[in-house]
Amino acid sequence: MAANTASRRRILIVDDDRALRFVLSELLSDAGHTVDQAPDGREALRRLDAGAFDIVLLDIGLPDVSGLDVLAHARAVASPPIVVMMTADDTPETLIAAVRQQAYRYLRKPFAPTAIVEVIDDAIASAPSASLSIEVVSARPEWVELVAPCVLEMADRIQSFVMQLETNLPEPVRESVAQAFREMLTNAIEWGGKLDPQRKVRISCVRAKRLLLYRIADPGEGFNIDKLRHAAISNPVDSPLEHAMVREEQGLRPGGLGLMMTRSLVDELIYNEARNEVVLIKYLD
Amino acid sequence: MPGLQGITERRVGDVTILKLEGRLVLEESEIPLRDYVNQLVANGRVRIVLDMRNVTRLDSAGIGMLVSKYLTACSKGGSLKLLQPTVHSRYLLEITKLSTVFEIFESEDEAVRSFGVTPV
Repeated sequence: MAANTASRRRILIVDDDRALRFVLSELLSDAGHTVDQAPDGREALRRLDAGAFDIVLLDIGLPDVSGLDVLAHARAVASPPIVVMMTADDTPETLIAAVRQQAYRYLRKPFAPTAIVEVIDDAIASAPSASLSIEVVSARPEWVELVAPCVLEMADRIQSFVMQLETNLPEPVRESVAQAFREMLTNAIEWGGKLDPQRKVRISCVRAKRLLLYRIADPGEGFNIDKLRHAAISNPVDSPLEHAMVREEQGLRPGGLGLMMTRSLVDELIYNEARNEVVLIKYLD
Repeated sequence: MPGLQGITERRVGDVTILKLEGRLVLEESEIPLRDYVNQLVANGRVRIVLDMRNVTRLDSAGIGMLVSKYLTACSKGGSLKLLQPTVHSRYLLEITKLSTVFEIFESEDEAVRSFGVTPV
């Protein structure tokens, strides 16, 4: 389906794999975008200097200049494009380097063509907040710590990076952990951070031999669990819809299922006393 | 965020089948579904089947919207039923105890018949 005029973008594809460049170029041109290509890092730098791009799809393992160096260059131009990294190198060090340089997303090769379309659609939709930075506080693969502004688009962006750190997990476990992490992160951003980009959420991801631990600290005042009538965890056993009616009475958006869902998706869910920090634990054996 | 990328409507008798495509998650993407179902119910079309097979991701806000629209349809004497949610979506419905609320079907004919309508 062709993009409407408002969502057409100028996209640069940088990859030494000619076949992949061709496929992506056809796909994105068919979607109505203007597509340019570069087979190596030097050509990418030249094109970035010569013209403004909205989005760059960038391979990390280029034959001459590293993709990470091209990323740094792209971030330094007057009007920086949104950069999506593509690579078969999924080492945590590479991933963290890409996060530190504010890559928008990280796609692990091989990926389905639909994945790239989805990422491009996300990038276009979140362009106003794509310039917001994620601060990398700790970059050890065993302990990654990030600070990010409280906008909803950050949830997808951070979830995408964090879950790339866990590529060796069985897919069902990875899917459950990803969902739990996103539920708690969106709670922190929406309720704790009030969707205010000036406020920050702090995320720690700790990888031990036998467990994964995620700590999410929001800038809010916390909450009283006894006053969560609008959350499904407060429902009487025989009334799974009660929270939905409470939410309607209180004018809240539909939802209220995140805590209940997360409790089942991970092994432990622990709040601090104020309940503005939460720890999720998934045991690996 | 792009989220739900399409809603396609089909009618079998007085049953409306809405085929959903894309993600049903917190990012404004549940709003098109809300508006679509509200419009149907306002026009008296209260027997609704949501074809979920192409819903690629579902979260608590998306499920919340399903619950909300279920209540909307029920409040007017109808219902909202689910057709072929993915394995993961079905799991999420189970852990939120909503698989006891929603009627879930594996075939469209069954879903339509459950409203007392003969599929064509």
